[in-house]
Amino acid sequence: MNLEVMQKTSASAAGRARAPAAVQLFTLIVFLFSWQMIGKTGSIFAELFPPITDILQSLWIYVSTPILIPHLAASLYAVLGGLLVGALLGIPLGVIFGSSPSFMQVTEPIILYLAVVPKIIVFPVFILFLGIGTHSKLAVGAIAAFFPIALLTIAGMREVRSVFLDVARTLGASKLKIATKVYLPAIAGYIFTGLRIGLGASVTGALLAETKIARAGLGFMIVEYYGQFRMADMYSLLLLIFILAALANWGMKALFSLLLPLPRSSQNFGEFV
Amino acid sequence: MLETIVRPATKLALLRMLLIFGGLGFIEASVRLGWIDRFFLASPLQAVEVLWSQLVGGNALYLIMITLYEIAAALLIATVVGLLVGFILWRYRLIGASYETLLAALFASPVILAYPIFLVIFGRTSAAVIILSSFFGTVPIILNTKSAFQQVNPILLQVGASMNLTRQRMFRHILLPAAAPAIFGGFRLGLTYILKSVLGLEYVVQVGGVGMWLSEAAFRFEVGEVYAGLVGTTLLSILFLFMINRAEFLVRK
Repeated sequence: MNLEVMQKTSASAAGRARAPAAVQLFTLIVFLFSWQMIGKTGSIFAELFPPITDILQSLWIYVSTPILIPHLAASLYAVLGGLLVGALLGIPLGVIFGSSPSFMQVTEPIILYLAVVPKIIVFPVFILFLGIGTHSKLAVGAIAAFFPIALLTIAGMREVRSVFLDVARTLGASKLKIATKVYLPAIAGYIFTGLRIGLGASVTGALLAETKIARAGLGFMIVEYYGQFRMADMYSLLLLIFILAALANWGMKALFSLLLPLPRSSQNFGEFV
Repeated sequence: MLETIVRPATKLALLRMLLIFGGLGFIEASVRLGWIDRFFLASPLQAVEVLWSQLVGGNALYLIMITLYEIAAALLIATVVGLLVGFILWRYRLIGASYETLLAALFASPVILAYPIFLVIFGRTSAAVIILSSFFGTVPIILNTKSAFQQVNPILLQVGASMNLTRQRMFRHILLPAAAPAIFGGFRLGLTYILKSVLGLEYVVQVGGVGMWLSEAAFRFEVGEVYAGLVGTTLLSILFLFMINRAEFLVRK
């Protein structure tokens, strides 16, 4: 009898867990079906909502032919380069700032206020210095990635418990030993989270800059298709970017969770992205 | 000696000012001494001078008003939609569990790149900027509202029930006040995102207020104006964040 009750309880718990997924699937189906119907009948904004089948057809062309490769390469260069530069500046500065509480007290509000300024507005300055090529987009990606990476590194440094440092010093550990054996393991989770959020910021920054002025890149193609009113191509490109961004985010998350568990406190840093 | 005369908070503020003005002074000297070409970098004094002349004699004030209008309109939409949807997601658990993850996933994706769609629907007008920006404000308000209601202490609700409060009174006198600080956290986040989105979109789409000014100056290669626009946009962002922080402090108090 008890077993029966337990089975029923576990079945109802599994049902409860599956219910949201079913609603999500249902919503997706309704959304796609409605879009397809609107696209086919042309009842609302005929040119704006092409049928889903047209969008998927266009997406298939992107993934099965080399048409997009030069643009994908330009965007990847700007995004990953931006992330790299952002990390190379953000991590050391975060470590330096985070290891000096008195210096941090002075600079923290300045950094926090600057973090909220939209990074795309610095693009004209980068154009002046670096031209309209890929490097100015890389620079926007870098400055966008810099803040979440630096801020999370600082947050990680703050979480290092002073008792660990005291113990290390008591045991006669050198500065290098303290850095690699105390600080690094403590802040690695924060840095990984910073890199993951920084990647998202770099994608948005670099691609948004490409939509402004560019000669190549996925952002440039979005605006090109918009200018030519090729809406199905534009939607499929947006879809491709969303899929790639989600895959990159998921991949980084999986990789980092394999390497070490992510700190809970580092999840609430959305406003600095 | 200094510590006995100056309060620690004032001392910190002074040090910050010293750091900021020291940095600006260094840039000023670099430009004036010719270490950096004036073609690339305007001196801070020149930028402030241009900004002041635009504020006094130009149309900078008008552009700031447009930006403020767009931010206010986007915040209004985000607040109404965010509070309503957030409440529904909390009230109906299945809907909440189903759509919370979808919303968070959508928010994490680079939705701002879809701005051409809004340009097609609304044209190159402030409406496109407002509607897209309101999305960025709505999602954090929804998620924070739902979470705020979830976190209300059940004992408070039990007290309300024992006093036979009606649903409306329970909501007005217990739920809403208890959830208010966390909901305000959502406003703060929402407003921050709206601010970033409005200024960013104005610049990219070249429509509206301060962002458009920056974009036009860049197209004309007016270096002084570019930096004046940059200073103006940065100051506007900082002012907004300062006001949000103050308001949040007062609400939590």
